[in-house]
Amino acid sequence: MIVFEKVFFSYGDRHVLRDLSFTVHEHERVAILGGSGGGKTTILKLILGLISPDSGRIIIDGEDITGKTESQLREVRMKFSIVFQEGALFDSLSVKENVAFCLREYSKLSEEEIDRKVREILRVVDVEEAIDLMPDELSGGMHRRVAIARSLAACEPKVFLYDEPTTGLDPINADNICRLIVDLCRDGKGLITVTHKVSDAMKIAGRFIFLSDGKIVFDGDKDMLLNTTINEIQRFVSG
Amino acid sequence: MKLIELINNFQDFYLLSVRGLMGIVRRPLYGKDLIEQMDYAGAGSLLIVVPVTLFIGMALSLQLSAELSILGLKMYTGKIVGVSIIREIGPVVVALVFAGRVGSGMASELGSMILGHQVDSLRVFGVDPMKKLVTPRIWSAILMLPALTLIGDAVSLSGGYYIAVFVSHQSATFYWSSVRDTLTFENVFAGAAKPFMFGYLIACISCYMGLSTKGGAKGLRQSTTRAVVLSIVMIIVSDFLLTRILLYALGFSV
Repeated sequence: MIVFEKVFFSYGDRHVLRDLSFTVHEHERVAILGGSGGGKTTILKLILGLISPDSGRIIIDGEDITGKTESQLREVRMKFSIVFQEGALFDSLSVKENVAFCLREYSKLSEEEIDRKVREILRVVDVEEAIDLMPDELSGGMHRRVAIARSLAACEPKVFLYDEPTTGLDPINADNICRLIVDLCRDGKGLITVTHKVSDAMKIAGRFIFLSDGKIVFDGDKDMLLNTTINEIQRFVSG
Repeated sequence: MKLIELINNFQDFYLLSVRGLMGIVRRPLYGKDLIEQMDYAGAGSLLIVVPVTLFIGMALSLQLSAELSILGLKMYTGKIVGVSIIREIGPVVVALVFAGRVGSGMASELGSMILGHQVDSLRVFGVDPMKKLVTPRIWSAILMLPALTLIGDAVSLSGGYYIAVFVSHQSATFYWSSVRDTLTFENVFAGAAKPFMFGYLIACISCYMGLSTKGGAKGLRQSTTRAVVLSIVMIIVSDFLLTRILLYALGFSV
């Protein structure tokens, strides 16, 4: 369970999150919506402890992670798998090396076993043919798939985190990525995706949180989102 | 507020410098990354260091030959070229070239990794970016800059030789024996100690600037520029301080 309690966060003088409180339960599929620069990605970084809030508490599975050291956060981060915006693949490594990165760092698998596992994961995300390519040779959709594969190789996550998973993709590729994201959550895993594409969010999530000016202005399901009277969200939904 | 920010920046820089240096004694060691960085910083810089130091040596020899011939002291060209190159010009010029090529490369590479969330990815995967990214860069600079300086000194002295012998018509044997006379422990030590410090400074400054990149392409440009400018200023300032300390320590009277 992820709990945000009265979280404030700012970049210098720019206040990004103000008095943010919400809870995400296990197995929940949540989409955090809002305009660009509205603090959506900041929430994912706060969950992972990559940045610390100015004030407030972030509690993961009953444990307050604010103020923890990098080594203490390692255990917390193992519960999540994140795919950053644009994939964040290591551009000096091939697809195979990107996916094998964590296996080489932490497992004692032989090269043969690593190769087999990498192929297996790439097959799951349907991009096995790109195994020897470099990140700059991949299309947008393949890039995201490889990023998802890398995050799957990193750990056995309880919750998937996605930062704008379909941004920059054509509708067909975006739809494929949405389906892959839903497939990966089939066995009851939770997910939090941040996006400004409402149509894609609706394919993935069951609960929607809308951020405006660093605050939550809406928290509800699909029907509530479609029937909301909040003008800003109506404009967002209608595109 | 600005003062607090400045103090915070100094603290972060200090921590990066110490942790980056000491990362070599803690596992995991990332030997492959170190070798890759050494190749980039060392072998990759040779094509710039060799022509730059060659022409510096030739220009210095030309200037000295012209001036000393007026005084009838042309035979001292080798000695003065030797002392200048080994103690001062060689280490400083190679360090400046190194800052321009390797320092800017380090800052822009790390900066683009920050902007592309690659450093965040490393942290999420439980990899310490300090050990994976900073330590190999610091140690590659510490090890490769002295090696490049040694090569640069030799090339520079050869450039000086070409001018002294083929343009100024001095004796080749006398030029080399004058140069050899300058290769005393004091001179060689004074010149050899500096590149270690310059390499450490360049790598620390460049890594720090790269990892503090914010704000897209403009931010990347700024951090790369800052890395090179600050490295150049620090090379010049630390050269003066090191020269002062080394002259005192090696018993030279000023």
